[in-house]
Amino acid sequence: YQPLKEDQILLSDCASSLAVQAYLRMCGLPVQVAYRANAEYMSPSGKIPFIHVGNQVVSELGPIVQFTKAKGHSLSDGLDDIQRAEMKAYMELVNNMLLTAELYIQWCDDATAAEISRPRYSSPYSWPLSNILAYQKQWEVRRKMNAIGWGGKTLEQVYEDVSQCCQALSQRLGTQPFFFNKQPTELDALVFGHLFTILTTRLTSTELAERIKSYSNLLSFCRRIEQTYFEDKTS
Amino acid sequence: MLGRRLGFAFSPHRVSDSSGNRHKVCDTDTFEAYAKFSGAKVTVSPIDWTWKTLTATVPELLCGDSAVQEATQILNFLRKQRFNADYELTARQGADTMAYIALLEEKLRPALLHTFWVDAENYANLTRPWFASRSPFPLNFLVPSRLANIALSRILLTKGEAPLHRITEVEGKIYSDAKECLNLLSYRLGTADYFFGNSPTSLDAFVFGFVAPLYKASLPSSPLQSHLKQLDNVTRFCDNVLAVYFSSDHPCPTPPVQETMDANLQKLTQLVNKESNLIEKMDDNLRSSPQHKPHRPEPKPSLASDKSSTPA
Repeated sequence: YQPLKEDQILLSDCASSLAVQAYLRMCGLPVQVAYRANAEYMSPSGKIPFIHVGNQVVSELGPIVQFTKAKGHSLSDGLDDIQRAEMKAYMELVNNMLLTAELYIQWCDDATAAEISRPRYSSPYSWPLSNILAYQKQWEVRRKMNAIGWGGKTLEQVYEDVSQCCQALSQRLGTQPFFFNKQPTELDALVFGHLFTILTTRLTSTELAERIKSYSNLLSFCRRIEQTYFEDKTS
Repeated sequence: MLGRRLGFAFSPHRVSDSSGNRHKVCDTDTFEAYAKFSGAKVTVSPIDWTWKTLTATVPELLCGDSAVQEATQILNFLRKQRFNADYELTARQGADTMAYIALLEEKLRPALLHTFWVDAENYANLTRPWFASRSPFPLNFLVPSRLANIALSRILLTKGEAPLHRITEVEGKIYSDAKECLNLLSYRLGTADYFFGNSPTSLDAFVFGFVAPLYKASLPSSPLQSHLKQLDNVTRFCDNVLAVYFSSDHPCPTPPVQETMDANLQKLTQLVNKESNLIEKMDDNLRSSPQHKPHRPEPKPSLASDKSSTPA
């Protein structure tokens, strides 16, 4: 479940949703995407995406991975302890840097917030609810940014952080097809979700996408995953 | 820094409104550890202006005219000045470093904040007296409680999602995350002395900065500390770093890349570090407080500290 695709969904949510979709496809599980305007409120933890299986609802990539593992599908069984530690570390890096940067750009950068984020977020609702919800969300995200210290950063610094993160990912990937040998793992799904979304979403400036494009192995990585797992997807 | 020779170091209560709270224990320890590893000579100078604690941020490094704040930026600054403990890492190891640092920040920091600032017993018995005793009235009431509030709000904002709105519900999650993080560090460290090979790097500094306070502080109640003590290789790592780099009996071991250091010796005289003022204060406090005995005599902190460089 995710918010409305064409109009409402925002960059960071789209990235997370795509990551979950990629992961489920990598596990070989059939997945159906449903769009709801109030997906955020339907979710048990307030975060999207979430999946609905039988009579259980699980949200966010971490819990979803554990849920599928409990059901017997796992991508990271072949890793030893050290590799699993590395994988978790890299996933945190992506979450810490990329997701936070996406949130920052969407909500703390005034130009983007006014032109894109607020209108999109509130598009299914009528005035004045739309205004209230949009500003509430923005206020909430800004509070969180301040709490973790990103409130004082400029856009340039955020771009710089994203570049460094991509550089780390690029160096880790090297020339391998996936991050850990030949098998994709949840890390691959997460990275794909974020990078692909950033590359294909229209923002007020293309700086972010440009920065990612400078790492060619990441680009080919995204393309490879898209072709392998999403070839029947009509988007 | 001096506090660390007593086995633990607690740090800045120089808090700025928006970001200072992050620069606490962990960051200062991290920075000092890194400075030691890379052989940079930093002078610890205490700041006497306790009223400034409300607005300035620590840790802060002064070099010549420029002031640099924040642990990661200070590390970058030192690297550019060619005090580099990561010199021998491959690109991939550098990437791993970034990833592990993100892991520490995300999983371990909330639990540490909770242990030191939010847990009522620890706060009342350990944290608050430490900070309060070195501030003049009325700061000794304001500053610790403000830091505690900031820590609490940070934890709730980043970890508390609906329906986890109360701290008690978040506690379970953050502690299990922290234990998992410690386990992961233990796996990664294995039997080696340092995380990458035989010489320490910035990752070692960060890990040390996070883990050492938890390991050494005498917390009245901490399941996390007990969990940490079960991880032998991590505790051995802390002890090792303390013994090798923070002992006043031995000079710091020379860093491996000697030629890049020589050219920068002139810069040493201009390198003044203000951030450990609190460490100094804590240290004085600890020396005078009855329950902690110093291991060895401390040199008097130097107040007029502009140009002199003393071994840290």
